[in-house]
Amino acid sequence: MADSYSGASTEADTTGAEGFLDDETLKILGASISSFFALGVVLLVLYILATQVSFTLLQTIIPRFLEALALVLGIVVVSSVLSVTSGIFVGLARVSNTAITKGISAAYVQFFRGTPLLFQIFVVYFGIPVLWPGTFPIQGWELPTAIIALTLNHAAYVGEAVRGGIGAVPDGQMEAARSLGMGYVQSMREVVIPQAWRNALAAVGNDQIILVKDTSLLTVIAIPELMQQFRLVNSATFDPWTPLVLVAIAYLSITIPMGRLVEYLEHRADWGGDSR
Amino acid sequence: MSHLLEFDEVDKYFGDTHVLKQVSLDVDETEVCVVIGPSGSGKSTLLRCANRLEEIQGGEIRLDGVPLSDPDADINRLRQQIGMVFQSFNLFPHKTALENVTLAPLKVRGIDEDMANARGEELLEQVGLGAQMNSYPNQLSGGQQQRVAIARALAMDPKVMLFDEVTSALDPELVGEVLEVMRTLADDGMTMMVVTHEMGFAREVGDRIVLMADGSVVETGAPEQFFENPETERGKKFLSKLL
Ligand SMILES: Nc1ncnc2c1ncn2[C@@H]1O[C@H](COP(=O)(O)OP(=O)(O)OP(=O)(O)O)[C@@H](O)[C@H]1O
Ligand SMILES: [Mg+2]
Repeated sequence: MADSYSGASTEADTTGAEGFLDDETLKILGASISSFFALGVVLLVLYILATQVSFTLLQTIIPRFLEALALVLGIVVVSSVLSVTSGIFVGLARVSNTAITKGISAAYVQFFRGTPLLFQIFVVYFGIPVLWPGTFPIQGWELPTAIIALTLNHAAYVGEAVRGGIGAVPDGQMEAARSLGMGYVQSMREVVIPQAWRNALAAVGNDQIILVKDTSLLTVIAIPELMQQFRLVNSATFDPWTPLVLVAIAYLSITIPMGRLVEYLEHRADWGGDSR
Repeated sequence: MSHLLEFDEVDKYFGDTHVLKQVSLDVDETEVCVVIGPSGSGKSTLLRCANRLEEIQGGEIRLDGVPLSDPDADINRLRQQIGMVFQSFNLFPHKTALENVTLAPLKVRGIDEDMANARGEELLEQVGLGAQMNSYPNQLSGGQQQRVAIARALAMDPKVMLFDEVTSALDPELVGEVLEVMRTLADDGMTMMVVTHEMGFAREVGDRIVLMADGSVVETGAPEQFFENPETERGKKFLSKLL
């Protein structure tokens, strides 16, 4: 299938650009432009490191950034586990045959996908405690807010990814399982979900990487995460680049391994590959 | 001889389309009943109703005297007794050949793994795939996949096997190996209901030919009689188109 697509597109490219842009020229052109661009970025980064980053300041602020990183990591792990787990149920509810389950899950997704995460954080942080005064601690409500808002928001996206993944499993799979005498739940668990999960993996991984970056919004409720540290350091020293570099390193140190993990999981779910 | 599978004035609608019209048909124990007929005549629908993959709107289908639609009957129990093989194989791509065969016995019957594996290996040997047990479906040819699918259905020890054009998706050179497995099954006394366009197979292996047209059974008969000397106009017309 992939072959036929790439085959068709190369054909279209060569015929469309016949004469002055053949495959070879295009390849060289692409390589030159991207090398040129990469070189520019590397030079800019080196320039910033050499002229803008204060290594003495770096030493004093690294510990607080490490703490912030640990905090973000903690929030990410908990909300990831919760949002993926509940997202799977949202996805299952979306494809269920029961009108109520279907309707409620659809409304859930509409709301949490249709309003900004920042708004949802405010609802949980400012809105919920006044509904039942005294029930929620004034101090320390930030972290529960973070977990609740991130989980509710990303469960909607994971749910949509899972729904798409289930939709991409051919009907014949469910029929084959049912015809062997397996029940609906059993067939879902043993046959449909493992395949749906593989189909959904890339989209779920994408969403979870966005979740990592969404923790930056938590700065507005004064959680001492990475952007908060940036603002504190910057307002005290007026040095933007030293903390900015640390922020970048900290986020990438979470998101890059996460991308790798998704690739690994996709590879593991290859089931014999295309090795025929 | 007793009727194993009985269709009793079965009516099936898709929306307003009347797809099965008062179909009555009995399949006896150890009988190979071959269903033929033009495209759209309702052959697949008939098989799918026999497994309750489709619900019927009128009449009754009975397995061993038990109505499939009996509210007290456990549909999952009934389906275990009816093996189904599909045109598109529908193997589970995330399971090896052996795992495909053992999944239902393990999960539905709850038998222990050693027993399931032993039986699974035996079945795969039986369909000539002893060497491919640990291959994933996409590492197998179409003919091999379809033979795994047959072994998978047999693993639940069904009383009757339903085959819906199981060779139609295969390259011509792979058709023979699948028909061979079906022939052996028939020889071993399996009760089978087979929808096929393979007239050679129908004639040779079938005990009875059922011709469907427009949602009705228009003629049934022994293979020699049907192919040599069809009784109905529809039968004559259908056969003349084959030549
Ligand atoms: N899910 C469905 N929804 C609506 N109509 C359907 C559905 N499945 C089948 N039909 C219709 O029912 C009729 C019988 O279809 P069926 O697939 O049983 O025919 P068939 O004899 O198996 O044909 P073929 O030889 O092409 O496989 C056809 O008119 C078809 O269009
Ligand atoms: Mg059909």
